[in-house]
Amino acid sequence: MTAIIDRILDRELKKGSAELVILSLLDARARHGYEISQIIEHRSEGEVKFKVASLYPLLYRLERRGWIAGTWVEKAGQRRRRYYRLTREGRKVLAEQRKGWQRFVAAINRITETGNV
Amino acid sequence: MSEWAQAVRQRLVSHDIDPTRHSAVIDELAQHLEERYTALLARGVDAIEARRTVSEELEDEALENELRRMERGQPAPSPPIGAPPRTGVISSFAQDLRYVARALRKSPGFSAIAIITVALGVGMNTAIFSVLNAVMLRPLPYHDPDRLVRLFESNPQRGWSEFSVSHANFLDWRAQATGWDMLVATFADSVSLVTNDGAEILRGSRVTGEFLPALGIAPIVGRNFTPDEVAIGGTGRSVIVTEGFWQRRFGRDPAIVGKTVVMNSAPHTIVGVLPRHFEWIDDVDVLLPLVLEPNRSRGDHVLTVFGRLKPTVTLDQARAELTTIAANLARQYPADNDGWSVRFRSFYDWLIPEQTRQSLIVLQGAVALVLLIACVNVASLLLARGAARQKELAIRVALGASRHRILWHGAVESLLLALIGSVAGLVLASATIRLLSSYGADTVPRLNEANIDVTAIGCAVLSGLVSAALFGLIPSWQAARNDAGHVLSDGARGSTAGHGRQRLRRALTIAEVAFSVALLVGAGLLVRSFTHLQQVDAGFDVNTVMTARVTLADRTAFDNNAKRAAFWQRVNAEIGALPGIVSVSSGSGVPLTSVGGTATELRVPGFTPPRGTQPSADWRVITPGYFKTLGIPLRGRDFTDGDDPTVGPFVIVSESLVRRYFPDQEPLGKAITPRTLGNRPHTIIGVAGDVRGRGLDRDPLPTIYFSAVATPAFGTMTVVWRSVGGGTAHVSAIRDALRRIHPQVAMFDVRAINDLLETSFAERRFNVYLLTLFAGVALALAAIGLFGVMAYLVSHRTREIGVRLALGADRGQVFRLIIGRGVGLASVGAALGIGLALWLSRLMETLLFGVSALDPITFAAVPAAMIAIAAAACYVPARRAMRVDPVTALRAE
Repeated sequence: MTAIIDRILDRELKKGSAELVILSLLDARARHGYEISQIIEHRSEGEVKFKVASLYPLLYRLERRGWIAGTWVEKAGQRRRRYYRLTREGRKVLAEQRKGWQRFVAAINRITETGNV
Repeated sequence: MSEWAQAVRQRLVSHDIDPTRHSAVIDELAQHLEERYTALLARGVDAIEARRTVSEELEDEALENELRRMERGQPAPSPPIGAPPRTGVISSFAQDLRYVARALRKSPGFSAIAIITVALGVGMNTAIFSVLNAVMLRPLPYHDPDRLVRLFESNPQRGWSEFSVSHANFLDWRAQATGWDMLVATFADSVSLVTNDGAEILRGSRVTGEFLPALGIAPIVGRNFTPDEVAIGGTGRSVIVTEGFWQRRFGRDPAIVGKTVVMNSAPHTIVGVLPRHFEWIDDVDVLLPLVLEPNRSRGDHVLTVFGRLKPTVTLDQARAELTTIAANLARQYPADNDGWSVRFRSFYDWLIPEQTRQSLIVLQGAVALVLLIACVNVASLLLARGAARQKELAIRVALGASRHRILWHGAVESLLLALIGSVAGLVLASATIRLLSSYGADTVPRLNEANIDVTAIGCAVLSGLVSAALFGLIPSWQAARNDAGHVLSDGARGSTAGHGRQRLRRALTIAEVAFSVALLVGAGLLVRSFTHLQQVDAGFDVNTVMTARVTLADRTAFDNNAKRAAFWQRVNAEIGALPGIVSVSSGSGVPLTSVGGTATELRVPGFTPPRGTQPSADWRVITPGYFKTLGIPLRGRDFTDGDDPTVGPFVIVSESLVRRYFPDQEPLGKAITPRTLGNRPHTIIGVAGDVRGRGLDRDPLPTIYFSAVATPAFGTMTVVWRSVGGGTAHVSAIRDALRRIHPQVAMFDVRAINDLLETSFAERRFNVYLLTLFAGVALALAAIGLFGVMAYLVSHRTREIGVRLALGADRGQVFRLIIGRGVGLASVGAALGIGLALWLSRLMETLLFGVSALDPITFAAVPAAMIAIAAAACYVPARRAMRVDPVTALRAE
């Protein structure tokens, strides 16, 4: 039972927050796909993981929407990598999604805080 | 390729996604997987476990879905040759257009013929449509013309359905009828303008005050007549001039209003100028006030009357009311009004005669047929070219071009041909309209308004598009039907598709011949009518007589009857004395002009008219020598200068009057009592031959001639003379002679009677010329079409002909075979054409004269001529067939 709930929670949370997560990570600087997946896994202490087959579709979708832009970059002594950076449009979307997320979390907190019963 | 790239690739293939389109994605994913794998190994996970974990990362349908979405959004790579490109519709069309234009440039002969053919069809259609539009469809140049109604008095008992209105009756109508915003009376009148250069005759119209308001026309300078100026008992000495007259006479002097001019020997004040667009049924220079005369006889029907219906009143209501008023008037004034009622006609109907409308519709039908023939011809040409391009098309089909694509190319080709043809057609139409206007402006009302406007361009575009649809789709459809393999293997000869195409071309040729025959029959009927008309005996000498109208401009010098009578006697004497003048006379009207002819009732002692009818006749006033001058046979005696008011009164009557009212009797010495000119018994002193005075296509009317010496003499008459040498040779001598009698005598409208005759023919001639022209073009197109089909047949069958010759057929047989084919096609077409003509010719019955719509001569001659022309068109191909060298023909295989 717990396993099922975990999976549902995982999927729903990811669905609602995955775009916000990726946009946030690209806010500071341009990153490549593997780096993004590593940061997510590391910072969430293994709670949130993106598989290759779900991370990249997400990147491509954001790219098609014009929120991020990917470019192949060759750096000396490194292999050729595709870096994603936030576009002007993506920055606006990120600001909105952050606000929305904070309101959503605050609302959920108010509902679930035991002291309000 | 790395192991991981391979894995990603396989995964895409297994989900039916084209891996070649996503090499960048594969690179990126493979790199990620490899780093992940390396990281797991670095953490001490064993190689098998690490490989399994990484492989699982690929398991998610999100990837596949996303890639599919990307695929849909991406432009496709270049398509295979011949396949429809997936680029935008516009650029594809431009590409097709370039392709087709190149192809057309490569066969200039074909393109030129096709374009000229379309241009002929479209041009003629557009020209005739522009005329039809100007004459029939454009609204009349008056405000709300649908509410304008022409009113006549009518007397069904005497067979006068549309008669002018008398002054008193008009006044009563205007006073009593409530259904009208305005009732207007007009009267065409010429006035003399006396200037330092002598007298000039102006065409004028006398009009009541409501004339301009009823038409919705305002003077551009000055004003309309005031009620005072048109009041009963007024002097009527104001004048409104037309813009043209203002320009011609006064150089557009802005201070024209208030100027005084001497007209009919009296000073008149100019009060206004009409706008340029002012148009009236008579060409006029000036408008003058019509001062109504309530005491004038109700029997004097002289006024042209029209009215503007109130918006709330229907035509039927107005008619019912006015009919009642007329019936009351008939009871009140039985002597003059008994049997008289009213009759209405729409303004449109009155201004644009039915015959004109009928002719235009027939002509429009004719040019539509020409267009149809032109389309058939171009379709046939395209089919023939399709045969030549069969291989090219088949290769394109084999390379994967779809049927849709081939059809599309055909459509683009047709559109381009039609477009160029239509533009050329517009140029042709514009020239044709100019020609028609200069030729027929006097014959067809409003013809001069025809021009190339938006409607005309619309017509050209529409006929172009219709043509493109007609001639374009058939060959394309035929081409698209071809089986590529068949054509390629077959050497493009004798294939089923080839046969189909030939069948289609034959059918088209038959159609073309049929349309041409129908048109030729129409033209033939009109030509026959016209020749009939020209052979009609007019009843007078139509060749050498000249006519001129002469008016006594100085009304004060000729203020009584005796003075005027004396003047006309002197005219005869002075002009008759000029060297070279054979004979001279004057009449209130002469045959073939609308001037001076009018009808009167009469009583004939001993003649009982059929119930409900009353004897009537046209009447004219003439001076002695009239019949001699005009070459009209006369029995009994002519008037003489001695037939003054103290003797007689006498009349001369026409043969048809004698036939009708004195059947089997000798009329000379008997009396009749015409109602006009005093209602007195007149003794018949002569019987004159019948004259077709209203046109050769109208039967002569019974006519009474009065002597100008004995009756109230007119101020304006038409002088007729016959001279040695004829023509206009003596005009200036005659003018001088008239001036010697009185300096203010004006002579105008000098016309040869032959010229009047030509004018009376003009509208028919116009129709005959045009329809003959159209039929000629149709015939030429049909002959070209037939020639094309037969020439193609011969070149297509060279081998077959070679075999026949090799097997011993003689060359005469081959010649006859080809001619026979062509004649066979033409015969089928001619037969169908006769059927079509039988149906169509009924529509032109009203335009015919002296021939039946089913005239056997026309119906026999036209198909015979068509078949002869068909044989001639086949001559060259047949000769070529005859000269086929069997050895060469067979070796070519």
